[in-house]
Amino acid sequence: MNSFTDSATNFIDECVDGAARQRAWRRFELVGLPTTGDEVWRYAPLGDLAIEHFEVPRGPAASAETPLARELSERAERVVRLVDGFAVSLGEDKPGVTVSLAPGRESLSGEPLEDRYQNDAFALMNLALAPAAVVIRVAAATSLERPLVVLNESRASACFSRTQIIVERAAEVTVVEYFDGGDQALVVPLSEYLLEEGASLRLVTYQRLADSTWHVARTTGFLARDGRLTQAVVGLGAHYNRSRNDAELLGAGSANELRTTYLGSGDQVHDFRTRQYHVAPRTTSTLLSKGAVADRARSVYTGLIEIEKGAKRTDARQTNHNLLLSPRAHADSVPNLDIRENDVMCAHASSVGPLDELQRWYLESRGVSPDDAQRLLIQGFFYEMLAALPGEMAPLVERDVESVLATVIAGSS
Amino acid sequence: MSATLRIEDLHVTVGEKEVLKGLSLTMHAGEVHAIMGPNGSGKSTLAHALTGHPGYRVVDGSVSIDGVELLPLSATDRARAGLMLILQQPFEVPGVRPYDLLRAAGADPTSLRARMASEADRLDLKSELLDRFINVDLSGGERKRAEMVQLGVLRPPFAMLDEIDSGLDVDALELVARRLVDATREWNCGVLVVTHFRRLLTVLPPTTIHVVSDGRVVEVGGPELAEKLERDGYDVYRATSA
Repeated sequence: MNSFTDSATNFIDECVDGAARQRAWRRFELVGLPTTGDEVWRYAPLGDLAIEHFEVPRGPAASAETPLARELSERAERVVRLVDGFAVSLGEDKPGVTVSLAPGRESLSGEPLEDRYQNDAFALMNLALAPAAVVIRVAAATSLERPLVVLNESRASACFSRTQIIVERAAEVTVVEYFDGGDQALVVPLSEYLLEEGASLRLVTYQRLADSTWHVARTTGFLARDGRLTQAVVGLGAHYNRSRNDAELLGAGSANELRTTYLGSGDQVHDFRTRQYHVAPRTTSTLLSKGAVADRARSVYTGLIEIEKGAKRTDARQTNHNLLLSPRAHADSVPNLDIRENDVMCAHASSVGPLDELQRWYLESRGVSPDDAQRLLIQGFFYEMLAALPGEMAPLVERDVESVLATVIAGSS
Repeated sequence: MSATLRIEDLHVTVGEKEVLKGLSLTMHAGEVHAIMGPNGSGKSTLAHALTGHPGYRVVDGSVSIDGVELLPLSATDRARAGLMLILQQPFEVPGVRPYDLLRAAGADPTSLRARMASEADRLDLKSELLDRFINVDLSGGERKRAEMVQLGVLRPPFAMLDEIDSGLDVDALELVARRLVDATREWNCGVLVVTHFRRLLTVLPPTTIHVVSDGRVVEVGGPELAEKLERDGYDVYRATSA
């Protein structure tokens, strides 16, 4: 059966920009799917990945919006809806925000996307097969009170979405990217964020796909002088959840705060990869990754802090805490440093172990049962991540997290 | 018959060091007892050991409420048996809000928001501060009052407060002290305060004062003892215990 290759070829042939897609597809075929022999893929259950079972959709399936998606939309400044990677609505025009569809062959870094992601099989797949790039542009000095929401719904067996967000000089915006759906599907989003001078982007990615789905996501932030990217990535769903989150601190004084969190159960694998690339002086990156694995689930955290010569007075910190909720669960933590400048502050810490004993005692000493104390503290990992959400949105997502956690923790204790 | 908290011959070590060396004390519901004493006498150790704080090891003795022995119990069960501790420096629990803690501790969810707001009001604490994670981004005085909100909601039969007066200004101290007086009336709460200062006890008159030195109770008396301590200090006890 060659359903994936055949459907991909047909899809590409029908596109007006078929030639460019064809190049990306050929490059994908050349690079080939990774194997667990590749160090960066060694924890992925690639043996379970039956690529030819997926079929590239030719258009969006009927939407089946969840109550959470609807509630988030009601509280948004503007809502962009994607079903199976196809934009079904770009939302209502609002001053200071434009949303458009583009062929999107250029990276926000300025180079061709195919060059930038030339060795990343899944990114190349996205370049060949994403229906279009959704380009969100926030005009200079715009400050939006409510978040922009991008709903990514997956109904077909394969879904490729591409998003590029440009926050112009001194603009401030919060964006919520929400992923749901997926039934034994392959979901491969590719996102880029450009922060111009003094711009601020708060980004919350909430992924709760079905746990039969493969999710391979990659995001890259490009930060100009004094740009500020505050990113929270929450991973609850997917059979294999891979999330690569990079930031390039290109302008002096730029700052990246990245928080990732996950909860794994059953035989889920959560695989987080980060790269904080400091190029300019006085740049800061703060990375906190926290999560828990139950049952036979496993988690991987691999983070690289890379500091170029000349990035003086860089301050880069990386912390990873993993909690094992069952004796068969497993967590790996691999922090890496690559520093080519002397005048820097750099720290990394990682741990695999139980919950903070004193916090647990505090809750128990107020009469909370040990199970509830554990649940509250794990839930707290997620609530901390969601603190970036505005007041009226946080409770909605928290309620959703709580319902997922209650099931997992009840099953594991 | 009113409930009774009984501490008998309590020995506690912290690390290798024996800090409590046979401390005894008995109090009844509705009473206010104060523990006073010099720095390092073991007052805070008593507070921690009673609620099963990790790191404090009880090597001998007994603590009971109405004959129910607390020491073999978990922290959760000690709380459920009726004892609540407010620490001198309440620490932060990021990610957990007071509402979620109180709900998990058994507070009735239908009236919980209203009760928290009303308790905050009595302590002149902005109730928005209770939407933050427990004690995160609160000042020292706000933390103490936030802890008092929990006490007012949970209504424990016995409350032990370790230097509740530190970090509070005069007005806040008076509100906290009055809230404790009301607690003794509203649900007959037995209040055990550890303090260095008489000021708290002028609003919260103690039934009994226990002077602790070198891990033991060295003198027991009424409210007049606080005046004597303020006048003469603890030197006399240090001399006898050295």
